[in-house]
Amino acid sequence: MLRSTLRLAIALLVAFTLTTAVAQTIVIAQGTDAVTLDPHNSTDSPTATVLSHIYETLYDLTPEGEIVPLLATGAEMSEDGLTWTLTLRDDVVFHNGAPLTAEVVKGSMERFTDPDLAFTFAFLLNRIDEMVVIDDHTIEFRLSDTFAPFLAHLTHNSTAIVHPDVVAEFGEDFPENPVGTGPFQLDNWQRGERLDLTRFDDYWGELPGVSGVRFLTVPEDTTRMALVETGEAHVAVRVPPQDVARIDANPNVTVENVSGVRTIYVYFNHLMEPFDDVRVRQAINYAVDKELIVEFVMGGAARASDAPVAPGIFGYTPVGPYAYDPERARELLAEAGYADGLTIELWSPTGRYPQDIQVAEAIQGQLAEVGVNAEITSIDWAAYLVATAQPAADTYVPMALLGWGTVTGDADYGLYALFHSSQAPNPNRAFYSNAVVDDLLDAARTSPDPSLRQQLYADAQQIIWNDAPWLFLYSESQVVAVRDNVQGFIIHPTERFLATQASLD
Amino acid sequence: MLQYTLRRILISIPTLIGVLIIVFSMVRLAPGDPAVLLAGEFASPEVIERARERFGLDRSLPEQFGRFIGGLVQGDLGRSTRTNRLVTTDLRTFFPNTLELALAAIVVALLVGIPAGVISALRPNSPLDFGVTFIALLGVSMPVFWFGLLAILIFSVQLGWFPVAGRGTWSHLVLPAITLGLSSTAIIARMTRSSMLEVLNQDFVRTARAKGLPDRSVVLKHALRNAMVPVITVVGLQFGALLAGAVITETVFTWPGIGRLLVDSIRARDYPVVQGSVLLIAVSFVLVNLVVDLIYGFIDPRIRYD
Repeated sequence: MLRSTLRLAIALLVAFTLTTAVAQTIVIAQGTDAVTLDPHNSTDSPTATVLSHIYETLYDLTPEGEIVPLLATGAEMSEDGLTWTLTLRDDVVFHNGAPLTAEVVKGSMERFTDPDLAFTFAFLLNRIDEMVVIDDHTIEFRLSDTFAPFLAHLTHNSTAIVHPDVVAEFGEDFPENPVGTGPFQLDNWQRGERLDLTRFDDYWGELPGVSGVRFLTVPEDTTRMALVETGEAHVAVRVPPQDVARIDANPNVTVENVSGVRTIYVYFNHLMEPFDDVRVRQAINYAVDKELIVEFVMGGAARASDAPVAPGIFGYTPVGPYAYDPERARELLAEAGYADGLTIELWSPTGRYPQDIQVAEAIQGQLAEVGVNAEITSIDWAAYLVATAQPAADTYVPMALLGWGTVTGDADYGLYALFHSSQAPNPNRAFYSNAVVDDLLDAARTSPDPSLRQQLYADAQQIIWNDAPWLFLYSESQVVAVRDNVQGFIIHPTERFLATQASLD
Repeated sequence: MLQYTLRRILISIPTLIGVLIIVFSMVRLAPGDPAVLLAGEFASPEVIERARERFGLDRSLPEQFGRFIGGLVQGDLGRSTRTNRLVTTDLRTFFPNTLELALAAIVVALLVGIPAGVISALRPNSPLDFGVTFIALLGVSMPVFWFGLLAILIFSVQLGWFPVAGRGTWSHLVLPAITLGLSSTAIIARMTRSSMLEVLNQDFVRTARAKGLPDRSVVLKHALRNAMVPVITVVGLQFGALLAGAVITETVFTWPGIGRLLVDSIRARDYPVVQGSVLLIAVSFVLVNLVVDLIYGFIDPRIRYD
């Protein structure tokens, strides 16, 4: 009798412990798996999402767009703007117990910018000439030229601090063995299926309210939504527009809509007729009803553009919009000599951005109304990237739909790359070139004065807007289904989803 | 028999070499560049060039092929250009999952398809036969993704009987196995029916009946066994197809199988993984065919090729 009672008690205890343990793990369903767990090599948002729980950067971009210290405690810029002195927190340890020091930061940055490793985002810090360790927790960055968005670039998740000894220890297998300073550490990774993180109890900051995070890889939209509806997942990212109303109607699930930093646009190739004529470019901007596309094609998961970059980015200034005006479009086309209409080729990817080809088809329909016959070409993404980045001599794509995420939260990243003439053909695939804009962007990137920079970007955006190098479309919102028992879940404008401060009721 | 088996294995080597050459050149003929994809949509030419060097893509095609074959004979399929993982590790992770799903699907197809076909054949042109034919037709024509999503909505979201997706317990396996096995079930049922009809009209069946054997024994022992040869061919082909063609089911049910790995790596132009996966699928196809041929010999001793 005693024995069976004891057994029952143990069983109950085990069951209780198991349920509480399970209940404290937050389950997040993403469309794709993390590609790698090497932060320096991360290039896509699902990967960045996972890594943001494991690794940390020196500075952090808050969801509100503020740049705040994270592993650093502060930074000082020298008079000439060429030297940045950063102080580091002295209470940070890696998951293996090793302390964070200036030497470690130096080693991490050297790896990130190593030309032989050819990391995609290494260019973010390519102005660093030299790094000098002043003491255990102070490091000096000497730059080749003044660069105002330096701290903004240190917020980018690919610049996260890794420990050089760990990199050396694991070699080629380092991506499988992440050791960071973040609030979670890797527990188990079933590729293509799920990735489990557990809380790192020696974390320097406030401990997360959940004991673990599980990321599920669920490529099919309907399946991902079903998971959050049944409660098998707490969070499902990228709610497809047609499902928003249905999911929101579920009493246990809320659909969150947070505006993001990714702008979707159609660029005009300035080297090809008829897009060398500003009137044609403006006409197409007037002929397309962006609000209609946002409402009906995007299901509200976007915001019609009124500037080349999205709101929430430092330097953003509303300079638009091009209000829908088919009459004006016809006039401009007639002035440009296309009174009888014209035929153009519109390129679009399929499935790269939410609703991309559907948006292209909506544009096609609206252009037809003003006598522009747009023929859509859609090829697979790999080939699309190559086709749209041809040099001037070989360029053949007249207009193409693309997206750009200004993930540093600073307009320099969004404007310089896409509109400075030195950046053609890639990323400036439009071959846009305006000497005044070039000067403004150069000045803004080197000026240390934030209010002056703001003004320079405002001027640049106004000129760009009038030149209409793009058909300005919209900035994407992130539409995420979250169960109501989740508190403190962060949907970051840079397309990352963070459970670092989340808890479950 | 042993000699026959060995000969069959030897014959398949040229097939596999052909597969190697075709897949090696096909991935490289397709437009798109793994270095561009990996370096990001807006990387500079220098970064792309470095990436090409890292993957050995700056070398001539014959040299790349030589290195690929050189590695292959040592069991080294290289590293993924996308994830930097060993291709063999990826295949070891994903292929068993596909095998598990395909086996479950073929079991469903056999358990349902063969009895359905036999029942149809015993009462040809009866309402029962029409019913089975109708369902079989439906099974073949229904798109897999549609059936899978419908199954999730009904049995997981509404009724809550099975988990929505993922892998783990037997209950995770039920919906994907039925979804994947659906069209095979239908094909096997149709094949069993026509094969049984043919056999049931033959002299030896009439003889068996004339001897006064019970109906059950005539159907199951004499007729079915003889009707199985064409059915086994179909089962073999179906099983091979299930191994290679489960990508839609794998996507709908979040099943981490080789089909999804292959599609993801084709999109990323991840040459080493594409090569490795296609090769593994080809090898399994060849093996399945070999097994089918060997089973013929057991069922019908007249079919021995030596």
